[in-house]
Amino acid sequence: MSVLVFVEHDGGEPTEPALQALTFARGYASGDPVHSLAVGLEPDGLGAYGVGTLHVAEHDVFGSYAPAAVAQAVVELAGRLLPTAVIAAGTDAGNEVMAHVAAKLDLPLAANCVEATPGDPARVTRVRWGGSLLEEAALHAPVKLLTVQPHAVAAIEVPGEGPAVERFAPVLGDADLTVRVVGRTGESAGGVSLSDAKVVVSAGRGAGSPEGFAGVEELAGLLGGAVGCSRAVTMAGWRSHTDQVGQTGTKIAPDLYIACGISGATQHMAGCKGAKAILAINVDRDAPILSSADYAVIGDLHEVVPAISAEIRKARS
Amino acid sequence: MRMLVCVKRVPMTGGKIVLTEDAQAIETRHLGFTISPHEECGVEEAVRLVEQHGGESVVLTLGPPEAVEQLRDAMAIGADRAIHLETDVEEWDPQATAAAIVDAIRADEAASGPFDLVFFGNEAADSGNYQVGTRVAYALGRPVATGLRGVAVGDGTVRCEQEAPGGRDVYELPLPAVVTVKEGLNLPRYPSVPGRLRAQRKPVTVSSPSRPPSRLEKLRLVVPEGQGKEATILGHGPDAAPAVVEVLRELGVLS
Amino acid sequence: MIVVSALALAAASAVAAGLFARRAWFLVRLVRAGKPVDRTADVGRRVRNEATIVLGQRKLFQRLGPGLVHALIFWGFLVLFPTILLAVLGVIDRDGFIPSGAPLAWLARQGWFVLLVDVFAVLVLIGVVAALWIRKVQRPPRFKGSHLGEADLILGLIAGIVSTLLLWHAARIALDLNEAPAGWSPVSNPLSSLFGTGTATEVLERVFVWAHVLLILGFLAYLPHSKHLHIATAAINVFFGRTRARGRLEPLDFEAEDEADLRFGAGTVADLTWKQMLDAMSCTECGRCQDVCPAYATGKALSPKLLIMGVRDHLFREGSQVLAGGELSPLVPNAVTDDVVWDCVTCGACVHECPVSIEHVDHIVDMRRHLVMVESRFPAEAETMLRDVERGGNPWGKPQPERAAWADGLGVRVLLPGDPAPEVLYWVGCAASFDERARASAVATAKLLLAAGLDVAILGPRESCTGDPARRMGNEYVFQSFARENVATLNESGVTKIVASCPHCFNTLANEYPDFGGRYEVVHHTELLAELVRDGRLAPVAGSEEIVYHDSCYLARHNDVISAPRELVSRIGKPLEMARSGKRTFCCGAGGAHMWMEERGSQINEERAREAAATGAGTLAVACPFCTLMLDDGVRQTGSDMRVADVSVLLAEALE
Repeated sequence: MSVLVFVEHDGGEPTEPALQALTFARGYASGDPVHSLAVGLEPDGLGAYGVGTLHVAEHDVFGSYAPAAVAQAVVELAGRLLPTAVIAAGTDAGNEVMAHVAAKLDLPLAANCVEATPGDPARVTRVRWGGSLLEEAALHAPVKLLTVQPHAVAAIEVPGEGPAVERFAPVLGDADLTVRVVGRTGESAGGVSLSDAKVVVSAGRGAGSPEGFAGVEELAGLLGGAVGCSRAVTMAGWRSHTDQVGQTGTKIAPDLYIACGISGATQHMAGCKGAKAILAINVDRDAPILSSADYAVIGDLHEVVPAISAEIRKARS
Repeated sequence: MRMLVCVKRVPMTGGKIVLTEDAQAIETRHLGFTISPHEECGVEEAVRLVEQHGGESVVLTLGPPEAVEQLRDAMAIGADRAIHLETDVEEWDPQATAAAIVDAIRADEAASGPFDLVFFGNEAADSGNYQVGTRVAYALGRPVATGLRGVAVGDGTVRCEQEAPGGRDVYELPLPAVVTVKEGLNLPRYPSVPGRLRAQRKPVTVSSPSRPPSRLEKLRLVVPEGQGKEATILGHGPDAAPAVVEVLRELGVLS
Repeated sequence: MIVVSALALAAASAVAAGLFARRAWFLVRLVRAGKPVDRTADVGRRVRNEATIVLGQRKLFQRLGPGLVHALIFWGFLVLFPTILLAVLGVIDRDGFIPSGAPLAWLARQGWFVLLVDVFAVLVLIGVVAALWIRKVQRPPRFKGSHLGEADLILGLIAGIVSTLLLWHAARIALDLNEAPAGWSPVSNPLSSLFGTGTATEVLERVFVWAHVLLILGFLAYLPHSKHLHIATAAINVFFGRTRARGRLEPLDFEAEDEADLRFGAGTVADLTWKQMLDAMSCTECGRCQDVCPAYATGKALSPKLLIMGVRDHLFREGSQVLAGGELSPLVPNAVTDDVVWDCVTCGACVHECPVSIEHVDHIVDMRRHLVMVESRFPAEAETMLRDVERGGNPWGKPQPERAAWADGLGVRVLLPGDPAPEVLYWVGCAASFDERARASAVATAKLLLAAGLDVAILGPRESCTGDPARRMGNEYVFQSFARENVATLNESGVTKIVASCPHCFNTLANEYPDFGGRYEVVHHTELLAELVRDGRLAPVAGSEEIVYHDSCYLARHNDVISAPRELVSRIGKPLEMARSGKRTFCCGAGGAHMWMEERGSQINEERAREAAATGAGTLAVACPFCTLMLDDGVRQTGSDMRVADVSVLLAEALE
């Protein structure tokens, strides 16, 4: 009995959600060996997360992202190891790869789980509505396919040596090679990226107009952060969709999220729940966001935000 | 060109989610419904592609009788006809959903020829399973790219753009293909009233597939406890600024 | 000589009449080609309007000075009308030209008649001089954009016509040809002493009468090509103006089988109703509407005057194409720009001010209807509101199940299907249900009605938006689906009386829902509360606080609810008034769906807040949730510390 975990990495550095998935898998495995699969390079430090054997799939195609090929590598390895479960992080890429795996194997896939208990059927608790609702489900399958909701569990290290490494070259068909990245179109215009920023300052309809974001931009600049917005703002054409924080926009996990004039609809909160701390600035003390925020200022963002910026400047001088 | 867009009817939940007594579903009395946001952009894209290249766009949904409202909305912005796979109140799991859609696609393609592109939303706003589009693609033997914010059809290929850190990744898939798209692909147009009136008369093919047993079987829904958070009110109006800066310092974001 | 004169006159008349008739026929055919609208009800009131507005010049007298100037000229022409006929006859035959039995002959011999003629002729000249003084010396801003040259020409012609009349009479008196005793002509008589009795005068007499008649004929030919057309169209336009339910917009019919028969508002001039065409033909470019428009006053592109002039010019440019069924160009942006259409807050100040009953708001809304329903071309930020209201049931995008959350713990009955109908249903409205600042008036109103012992209930989540924001934005289709749904809910529940605290809900429920089968007794909350206070069921304690009351456009101007809120204010504190009050109130800026649109230029609400603050009052009382929000923002943005509160909130406080 074993568990196989697909580990995403960024040039050899395992991603935070991947480490969380390993922690989750370790819990699910309760003592059984944890295998992990990575493609291209060998990610570091997996021993500290309980990986017994690291399988590295090597093929030219893994020079760029190729979800179908990755999935085929998973399928091939799973065919050899016969794990009870195949687990990945519930990121865009993780869900994409696992969807391919599930389709290839015609097995059910429980995406974005926060909890899972092995059994026949396995019991999982997975996320709906971007996190505002949970579903308890029974997973009926000989091999359980799961992805783990990012930030549902913390990545916890355990004492352990580096994993044994095995390399293999998966056998890939033409269909697997068709779906791969063949180019880039770079459109990052400097500045801090919304998904990476440590501080994000957002505003909603309360900004009143595109010009109403001036104060927000100033504050974000002072804190070295990025500017975000709610869906109402992008639908009104005031800002680009790339600034949208929410279930159908960008999901962020900054150290601090400052939400100005945002009421806190579930689809927006789904995008910022990962924030370590949330400060809400709102005229309405009954706004839903106040029950998800750590701090609040009751007031008009057009008055409060510039005051905060001024206070920051004063503190720095 | 023949385009198919698969859409799902989802409730507009707003601030708080309330469940039915038996915790099997969201209480939707007095709630409005809409096409799930990602696929709304899919409908708009399919309509634009047909405007550009000629052909026909079809919209499909697996859902209750009321879901015809979403089909009419899609036809109001330009989809030519609709396929309604009518279900009862029970939910269909992603595998069953994909299988029913595959049957419907095969039936329609047998009659009218293959769809160059089949659009799905990357994930439905409510169930968020992230897999229906990919399963349909495999069943049809077609390539699939997911989470797209750019779709351009060339001769025999579709150029897909997927957001990645620092830019966008580009895929080129041969047609026929399946794509799952994300909001931000385009800004869906507002339907005109002549469009809505015409949509009332566009054809909807209805069938009632039977639901196979669920392999991802929903047992019950649970509203997560608000982490018991009660926001600390730092103050009112601009006078709260010093308290805010103190918090910023404590959080370590004030360099 | 007579024959020659007659022939010459006939020739001149034929030319003038021919030119007049050709143009007039074109205009008539245009109006007849206009889309239908029903303005046949209430004939009694229409006739009364003719008497007061046309004959009595009532709307012109809303500005005393210019009103008097115009009234002199207008009444003058009524009195002088018979002299035109006399002059025509006089052109043909200088002596004894009227058959002696004819009434006209009798009139010409009456001293009092020639007295009136002289007096009014001079009054007309005084009017013309005053008008020229206003236009040339005073130069009020309302004339900005009007065709001043055309106006000068018309004033010149009027002066010429009246002067030649006086001179002709003077010459006749000098020649002893006057029919009535000269002593009765206080002006022509002294004037006659300028003339001798010789051939020079005989020639001049002919010159004056011919000049007089030719000026009149020339004027006749010129009339239908100029804004002076209003003398023909205005009286008709006034007759067909709205007589009641001024806040009601005319519904569109979406049921027609053939798409070609459907009208989606005004895209081209061919879509205009006959009343709208008549509006365009009645405009005199006086600019009174422009003067009172809150958008214009705050620097926006919209001027109601320029709007109507733009429609008129476009109509005349494309008129022959309309009649021939040819290609037409869209009104927006060719006659008016998009900005102009969206700047309007539908406050109706322009309609109230217009002396010839032009209904500018109908033009704007019809243009919006086409832009929204056919072209999907409208401010992007309003699209969110339209989507929210259509699918979510309210324009704030808040969840309907939480609509009654404001009432938690107040003991207000929520009417469920099958429950017995209440004595009065309190229609809360979306703003008071969902907005934190507007909520206070719902809470206060509910408490007051319960304290007075009324059997009152609310619909809770079954109350959805009345559809007013969608309708004012031009989405008539979405509005109608709301109207039908709400009427069904209300009718099923057996409700007969409704009290609303939002003037927009009030207006729609009272004036617009009857078109969809909803007939209820609808009152505004200030009316009901005032009644309860009068009856002693609520007994506020009078205070000394100075309170200035702001009239909501949809209450005061569209619906004549002016005294009830003032009754309440005077029972609570010391009432103060702003200059622009009652039916001449100045909008808060939220109407016409502007609550959800960006405002370019300076703010309407700040303008009004400044006006309120200038009265020195500590409290600004309002009776509308939009006014509450807009003026509260306005007061804060202009640095005042006035308290803005709904009358119901103040009343509730005065009961404690």
